[in-house]
Amino acid sequence: MSSAEVALAAAPEAKHYTGLLDWLTTTDHKKIGLMYLIFSLVNAWVGGLFAGMVRLRLYDPNWNFIKPEFFNQMLTMHATVMIFMVVMPAFVGFGNYLVPLMIGARDMAFPKLNAFSFWMLIPPSLMMYASFFTVGGSAQGGWWSYPPLSGAEFSPGAGESLWCLAIILLGISSIMGAVNFLVTIADMRAPGMGWMQMPLFVWATEITAWLLLLAVPILSGVLVMLLSDRIFHTGFFQPGLGGDPLLYQHLFWFFGHPEVYIMILPAFGIMSHVLPAFAHKPVFGYKGMVYALASIGVLGFMVWAHHMFTSGISPEAQIFFSTTSLIIAVPTGVKVYSWLASMWGGTIDFSAAMKFGLGFIGLFVIGGLNGVVLAIVPFDIAVHNTYFIVAHLHFVLFGGSVMGLMAATYFWFPKMTGRRLSEKLGNWHFWLFFIGFLWVFTPMHILGIEGMPRRVAFYRPEFTDLNRFISLGFLLLLAGGLIFTYNVIHSIRHGEPTPEPDPWKINDVQQSLEWMVPSPPPAWNFDEVPVYEEG
Amino acid sequence: MATESHSAAAPAHAAAAAHADPSAHAPQPSAWPILLALGIGVFATAFFLVATGFNALPLLVLAGILLVLIPALGWATTIAAERRHQDPNYTFAILRRGFLYFLLSEGAIFGSFFAHNLYIRFGHATTWPPLGAPRLETSLPAIGTLLLVLSSFTYHWSHHAFIGGKRALAKNWLLATIILGVVFLAIQGYDWGFLKAFDKFTYSQGVFGSQFYWMTGFHGLHVCVGLLFLVLVYWRMERGEMNQTYHFSLTAAEYYWHFVDIVWIFLFFVIYLL
Ligand SMILES: [Cu+2]
Repeated sequence: MSSAEVALAAAPEAKHYTGLLDWLTTTDHKKIGLMYLIFSLVNAWVGGLFAGMVRLRLYDPNWNFIKPEFFNQMLTMHATVMIFMVVMPAFVGFGNYLVPLMIGARDMAFPKLNAFSFWMLIPPSLMMYASFFTVGGSAQGGWWSYPPLSGAEFSPGAGESLWCLAIILLGISSIMGAVNFLVTIADMRAPGMGWMQMPLFVWATEITAWLLLLAVPILSGVLVMLLSDRIFHTGFFQPGLGGDPLLYQHLFWFFGHPEVYIMILPAFGIMSHVLPAFAHKPVFGYKGMVYALASIGVLGFMVWAHHMFTSGISPEAQIFFSTTSLIIAVPTGVKVYSWLASMWGGTIDFSAAMKFGLGFIGLFVIGGLNGVVLAIVPFDIAVHNTYFIVAHLHFVLFGGSVMGLMAATYFWFPKMTGRRLSEKLGNWHFWLFFIGFLWVFTPMHILGIEGMPRRVAFYRPEFTDLNRFISLGFLLLLAGGLIFTYNVIHSIRHGEPTPEPDPWKINDVQQSLEWMVPSPPPAWNFDEVPVYEEG
Repeated sequence: MATESHSAAAPAHAAAAAHADPSAHAPQPSAWPILLALGIGVFATAFFLVATGFNALPLLVLAGILLVLIPALGWATTIAAERRHQDPNYTFAILRRGFLYFLLSEGAIFGSFFAHNLYIRFGHATTWPPLGAPRLETSLPAIGTLLLVLSSFTYHWSHHAFIGGKRALAKNWLLATIILGVVFLAIQGYDWGFLKAFDKFTYSQGVFGSQFYWMTGFHGLHVCVGLLFLVLVYWRMERGEMNQTYHFSLTAAEYYWHFVDIVWIFLFFVIYLL
């Protein structure tokens, strides 16, 4: 490693800040990871309350204290906040905290760039929230922001422009984070640790980082064009000037579908740690899991137009994108069966983390199967833009991503804080979330098949009962969220202490390096950098 | 202290440390990242206010620019200083990989514009160039292309000379590169002015104009950043801040400059020739 004959200067005196200044200037991947997670939790409350406003309006569309325009803002910002300011940063937070530990590195490859990626979240988030106070309020065009609806003619306010600008700025954070993860994983692994010896969460982060690196710039580019159409009156997506709104959809979903995997692959990685750990078995089918992750990543770039079956694309294109979308079910199935096999014959410990892990499998499989039927063109055309889609995407993103994040939180909280989350509260949290989730999102399938369109502040009278039922279910999710937040805040100070490296006693089946350092780990991670035997 | 001990047994959590004090490996705090993020936020806000017709305080614009430039320079200086007590080959390797991946994502942004252009041309428009758009004059941009390609070579020779220890020669080739870059920009500016004044070709008159001005403009912005980069490298050569071991900025600027060159070749082909 050090072949240079250069005399190295002595390292300067280490600087130490304390208190707030320490957090503002830290470059420690663990502190940055925690800040990402706190950022996500705070925004999850905001995004969750936005969803509450949507459900409140839909409880009774005659209650006009939530105006349709405000309903549209809530709906758009719920999705925007949840995707860009909750789920993505939460996975980056876990990645930040865990990847260097898991590969035996002392930090990320570029610690300062890492801090920058986090702080780069703050200005765009402030812009998003500030947009509510502009004339006309925040963006109302949905998170896809399709022109011509999002164009200057139909969305004249500043909110939509601020939305574009904020997403472009958030992209800087994502791209820099992706670069950092890719270099860290490629060059910072412990001596002797081969690619096929990396824990599966690291693999999931690697593939996710590639998707971020190649997909997010497309979103940045397309939003630069949209913003330019709005502000400078260029013609990229304006039919009157020779532009094409359909092209916006192509470019947006070329980013948008990989984005779905950006939000689920890390959860796959998390499952490959949590499920075997509490079945007390090694993970089954490591290689198959890696190849499945990689092929999902590659195929993810070839399916985008399955979001556009009713937008006017050729039948040949429909067949192509339908087929590729169906093929993705194969590697996904490989993963689900490998998780099941990982638990087969094990002694299962039904901890809160494991409950969320098992909940993930059940809900994600339903969401995945919904996806398979939606990939079939005639079915998709029948339910396009109805509540069936809303049900599908929440089964994948809430039942999948969020349940995965919860499992990860209960699993790695002792590592991060040296204290355990309360299992009793965790149990309440799980059942409230699981039942509340099914309560809210299962009936949406029926609403969708019966033809209730999404993103509309009104509905036909015969949909009233189911909508009221769904809106009441929101209260269960709210209660679960409150218990979880209380559990986190309380357990940080008063949880059962777990200073030992391996609080779950899984070192014999899961040789992941984070369980070999104290909880929480020291700033330098490893007193001695671990070395792997070649092979 | 700078290189890590490889003597531990696999995978180790041994309490017995070979080093006197492992806390020396703790990452150092830095204020530059948060300041740069703040600067980008201020600058973007100022840009937004100006672009949407509000009167942004000139002070806000100035603060944004300063808050971007000062942390960026401070950060670069810190990295250069830190490398002096780290394994230079290793830090060189990771910086290079990081920079190349960053360029890949830059390429993807250009890719979205190319995709837009090709889709509209071959999948949407009935005539190309569209009615009302001028036929672009190619001879002057062709000269610009040649000069830019040549500048990639002059930069390469500069790099080569520097590695070979011929500092004066390296500086001359670098200066030649900067001059060629400036001439390229001047040609582009002249071309823009000509199209605007005589052909009444604007970015808001049609999709081709939008593509033309955004693609060449976005590329021109990259040339400007590249030129700043080259000037920085020249300044560091002048001050003797680089040597055979520490010259990452020389290499990074080379990658960046080649990248800008390659993008232009595609651009020239797609916009002017195709
Ligand atoms: Cu999709």
